[in-house]
Amino acid sequence: MTMLRVLAAGCGLAALLWAQQFKFNLDHLAAKASNAVDVSLNKDMLQFAGKFLSDKDSDEAKAKAMIGGLEGIYIKSFEFSRDGAWSQADLDQVRNQLKAPEWGRIMSVKSSEDNENVEVWVRHESGKVTGIALLATEPREFTVANIVGNVNLESLADLGGQFGLPKLKPSGTTAPEKKKDD
Amino acid sequence: MVFSVAYHFLHDRELAEEIAQDVFLSLHRNLGALESAAHAAHWLRKVAVQRSIDAARRRSRRPQVALDDVAEPGERPAPGDPLLGELLRKLIATLPEGQRMAMVLRYQEDLDPSEIAAVMGIPLGTVKSHIQRSLALLREKLARRGVGER
Amino acid sequence: MDWLEEELKSALSRKEPAGGFDERVLAAARRPKTVMLPRRWMAAAAALVVLAGAGQAYRWHRGQEARDQVMLAMRITGKKLSYVQTRIAGDRQ
Repeated sequence: MTMLRVLAAGCGLAALLWAQQFKFNLDHLAAKASNAVDVSLNKDMLQFAGKFLSDKDSDEAKAKAMIGGLEGIYIKSFEFSRDGAWSQADLDQVRNQLKAPEWGRIMSVKSSEDNENVEVWVRHESGKVTGIALLATEPREFTVANIVGNVNLESLADLGGQFGLPKLKPSGTTAPEKKKDD
Repeated sequence: MVFSVAYHFLHDRELAEEIAQDVFLSLHRNLGALESAAHAAHWLRKVAVQRSIDAARRRSRRPQVALDDVAEPGERPAPGDPLLGELLRKLIATLPEGQRMAMVLRYQEDLDPSEIAAVMGIPLGTVKSHIQRSLALLREKLARRGVGER
Repeated sequence: MDWLEEELKSALSRKEPAGGFDERVLAAARRPKTVMLPRRWMAAAAALVVLAGAGQAYRWHRGQEARDQVMLAMRITGKKLSYVQTRIAGDRQ
């Protein structure tokens, strides 16, 4: 049944696990948060959003170029009014899903002065990047992001210079080129 | 799979093809919502079951063959005999729709009872009961026709 | 599995539809749908036209929401990556 095979192949290709690549399991934090962000954009929604991003606004134009190659963006971010609202277990249950060989941690920064910790994980399949996981915590903030697709790390890193944020100079100095308020 | 579920459930080739065509057209319209090949297979099975049951209910006439009306074969078929297969298909077609679909999913699709419960949207206990009763009924009907384990 | 269950598996083995099934499905998929509305449905059709306008407004609103979500996502991830880059560059000095 050729039609079946074509449709089945189509289903397989369309799927290709382009949905969120790991579970967040963080709904219990929403009740404690003073502010919560929940972004869930699959490929269809990204394409739809792209039609409303302006080419005339430089930030929106760059975002539009960025999302053109993506299959999904999923973010949960919580801010709390007190310390201790999130636990190490909340972080570990996400990390435990980021298993080798597909996932590998490429960057990890821990700051003892402001207790901000950020980890960046990359998912590889058949030699290509197919997703990014970002885990960021502060005593009163918990953020998990999954960006799905053939993510261009350089473009993603370049976001640091967009949206009013300081861009890193090629020489690696920490002095920002410009600073804007968000 | 889709045609076969409809065919074994309705025992009507033409109606089964109509249903299969309808299901594949629905699949074509809903491709974007499917997340994986496994999800697509589950979706196809579930929709095939629903449409088949709907079609059975819309049929104004009773099941094509009443159970007691299934003629005894001229010769008693032995296990492994194609005549026995045809007899079993006719007997299955006379079962109440819930039992009938559970049997089709169990023995055509090789689903276990919990999978059948998920596809049909009925409790696991009901699925097990459907299968047990159907098997008991079939054994009784076959035994009356002299067909059974040697 | 006993003998009856084995026989059932055999009797209920998958059947194929008649030849040309694929082509018939493809032909049906390509067939344009035409709907002939009786006169009494014209008022309903007119109401649908009005609703379509509302639908467009709703679509625009959803589009703005989706755009805002994208920009928010870019800000959050950009901010975190910028922090990482800054720290790594600082450590290297």
